[in-house]
Amino acid sequence: MLKIDHVFANAGEKEILKGLSLEVKPGEVHAIMGPNGAGKSTLGNLLAGMPYVEPQGGSVEYMGQDLLSLEPEERAAVGVFLAFQYPVEIPGVNNMYFLRTALNAQRKYRGEEPMDSAQFLRMVKQKIKDMNMRDDLLKRPVNVGFSGGEKKRNEVFQMGVLEPKLAILDETDSGLDIDALKIVADGVNQLRSPDRSFIIITHYQRLLDYIEPDFVHVLADGKIVKSGDKNLALELEEQGYGWLNN
Amino acid sequence: MVGLITDWLERVNKQTKDSISNMPSWLQAKRQAALVQMQMLNEPTRRLESWRYADLGRLLKAPSAFDSTNYGQQLNVIEGSDPVVIVVDEAGYMGMGDCPDWLEIRSLVDMHAEDWYDATFDQETVVNLANSLLLQTGGLIRIKATDKPVHIQLVYAFDELDEWRYVRNQFDLEAGANVSITEQHQSGRINAVNVYDLDSRVQLNRVQDIHLNSAEQFVSMNYFEVSKGVNVTNMNHHIGGSLQHHVHWVNFNGEGSKYKSGSINKSFDNNQITDIVNVNHNHKNNQSDITHRSIAKDKSQIYNNAKAQVAIGADQSEIEQDLKNILLSSDARIYSKPELEVYADEVIAAHGSTIGALDDTALFYLQSRGVDIEQAREIMIKSFEQEAQIC
Repeated sequence: MLKIDHVFANAGEKEILKGLSLEVKPGEVHAIMGPNGAGKSTLGNLLAGMPYVEPQGGSVEYMGQDLLSLEPEERAAVGVFLAFQYPVEIPGVNNMYFLRTALNAQRKYRGEEPMDSAQFLRMVKQKIKDMNMRDDLLKRPVNVGFSGGEKKRNEVFQMGVLEPKLAILDETDSGLDIDALKIVADGVNQLRSPDRSFIIITHYQRLLDYIEPDFVHVLADGKIVKSGDKNLALELEEQGYGWLNN
Repeated sequence: MVGLITDWLERVNKQTKDSISNMPSWLQAKRQAALVQMQMLNEPTRRLESWRYADLGRLLKAPSAFDSTNYGQQLNVIEGSDPVVIVVDEAGYMGMGDCPDWLEIRSLVDMHAEDWYDATFDQETVVNLANSLLLQTGGLIRIKATDKPVHIQLVYAFDELDEWRYVRNQFDLEAGANVSITEQHQSGRINAVNVYDLDSRVQLNRVQDIHLNSAEQFVSMNYFEVSKGVNVTNMNHHIGGSLQHHVHWVNFNGEGSKYKSGSINKSFDNNQITDIVNVNHNHKNNQSDITHRSIAKDKSQIYNNAKAQVAIGADQSEIEQDLKNILLSSDARIYSKPELEVYADEVIAAHGSTIGALDDTALFYLQSRGVDIEQAREIMIKSFEQEAQIC
């Protein structure tokens, strides 16, 4: 599904990713861990097409396409979703309108018919129920006045509605209490399927107690320095990242 | 400097004797007083605070090719209300339908001298003084208190499109009246003076909706004389135009009142918009809350200014000024100035102003959900405007 081959990228003037390679197959869940400043968020932003992050070399192939040649909205339409570390507030635009606009923009790109209001309402009401979230979320302006936990839940809800093929969660667990963490993890687990893959960027092992990854990678100084199964996350939790330098 | 006073005085000479002689003697005296004052004033220049960032020369120039974009535009009727529509044109006020009991309409010539609100003009407001000098149409609209809220829609619809039309609307709202007044431009090159004389406990929702094509011009001076226990919301939509220049002048003349205003100013091409709010907290325990959201594109410019003056002894005044601005091109200009002049001790006041571009991170957030960049910009602009949408 995704093949990142020896990618270099700058965030602003600074070189962050320095020859990163990673392959993700359909249905797999990959956790990316690593110390602060290693380039984890830059990787997520690069895949989603943030203009501030500029590729300098290497390639990213997503479902047979050159992902880096697509605009951010085109990437979304072909199934790439980034759950933001700091979701943006959009006053005056309610979640329902925002999501319907986004969904129909993606459908248009894919040559599908737009979803009418009634269909959309039925669909989101069912989704929000399935994900154990409160439906007042739909009427509120996007992320405005949301607590940190609500913003992260809203990201997962958006993911549920847009049904991406590759979901990148950038520190979705940060700032969450244990109950919110479980809701977010449940939401993600419900979306797991053989044709949907996840890249979960996190600092802490605790999220991985609830979302079991197939692979855990350590990203340090712009590249993946170690990969393993979920036990690697436990080792990192116990020993930190210092031992990787030895 | 640009010969405006000369032009106005020449226009006085050109006015037909008939049009003057039809006026009551007290009104002729008002015009004469305005003439004397005008002759003593200097030509307006950019040294005037309210014209610092506008091209006064545009007042002289007839708008080029009139674009009929605004003709037949849908009037924005406030939901759930059934407005009494008053059209103001060359002939004066024209009511559409029956005049309800709570409403009294008098043309300028039928007004009584004691009903006339004497607005004070000076060098700073010399362009608005021209209204008193060349006054052609308008009058008095008096509204009594009723059991239910009432709604008036005032529409400017002049046939002559390149000649200035000088209009004066005086709204007298009696104690306890609950009124929505929508002032809307349909056609004409307007210099308007609006007076809102608000008795105690009045609830006023006023909307000024001035949406112009790139050749049209509109100048307005808006007085709000606010008695005690009054609640005013004043929503302004100023969009486009070769020149839009609006001054809102609020006097708190009693205690326990609130004036809340929101302005959405949007300019394109070579438009110029000025939006100024001056609030005078002359008495204790009044609140003013001013929110402006301005967006300038292409080579257009916007000047927006909110000033509050708190007099000695006007304690427990509360003031908020929030001016935010977005530039959508490198050639667009926005000048934004919140001002507080406080002479009382116990006052809560906050003011702020920002000018910037659309937030790149927010645009990317929208794009990352599948929305293309143009639609993302539209959503962001809509979102930005919503913050000033107070009613």
